[in-house]
Amino acid sequence: MAERPATGRGPTSTGPGRVLIAVYAVFALAATGRSSVQLLTKLDEAPVSYLLSAGAAAVYIAATVGLARSTAAARRLAQAAIGVEMLGVLAVGTASLLHPGWFADDTVWSGFGAGYGYVPLVLPMAGLAWLVRTRQHR
Amino acid sequence: MIDWLQSVLTLAALGLAALAGVYVAVDRLTDGWLLAYVAVLAAGLVAQLVVGIVLLARTGADVNGLVFVAYLVGLVLVPPLSTFWALGEPSRAGTAVYIVAGLLVPVLLLRLDQIWTAGG
Repeated sequence: MAERPATGRGPTSTGPGRVLIAVYAVFALAATGRSSVQLLTKLDEAPVSYLLSAGAAAVYIAATVGLARSTAAARRLAQAAIGVEMLGVLAVGTASLLHPGWFADDTVWSGFGAGYGYVPLVLPMAGLAWLVRTRQHR
Repeated sequence: MIDWLQSVLTLAALGLAALAGVYVAVDRLTDGWLLAYVAVLAAGLVAQLVVGIVLLARTGADVNGLVFVAYLVGLVLVPPLSTFWALGEPSRAGTAVYIVAGLLVPVLLLRLDQIWTAGG
């Protein structure tokens, strides 16, 4: 469901990491597909929401690639992407509840990912936990 | 869309998640039986792709064709991509990828039905 890992798989792409990467890949595809359609067909309706969704898509793609590849640079990419994802879902989730008027349409991260079964909220926590857990092996 | 086909596919996909869950629980690696089950699900999804395109071509309703076909194709891609990722590592975690796949398919089927219904 994701990038073919580099030869000599890194620790983040083995064991539970495989399941994590599979879920990240699903969200990368879902957010990319959804935001492309929205940006191409109705950007003027809710530009903030749709650009946020596109940003979320980029973050999911970066996290998927970062976790699936095994280089030190890939690990830094995953750390940055999942860090941004965690902050993003908390910031957008909070803002969407306190200031619904800011968003003309829902984003992936609205209501802490309520539209996606709160997986967008749990995923970065799992991702950060996995990065911490695999740290000492590098 | 054809309701019974979607119901069968939903049950089959949930069955895959459950079966893979049992495999993971008893620490059994992906084997021919599990792969055969995935192949049957894949065949059903291909059948739905064909049926869906035919229905889309015939319908007079205002269905978003591009998104509808994207979901049909996306569903067909789930079994091969998850198999590639599951077999990449012969372990419990590899097999657990099928749990994700089995839970993903019903969600996509639900969205597919919503897109079809939204067209009236």
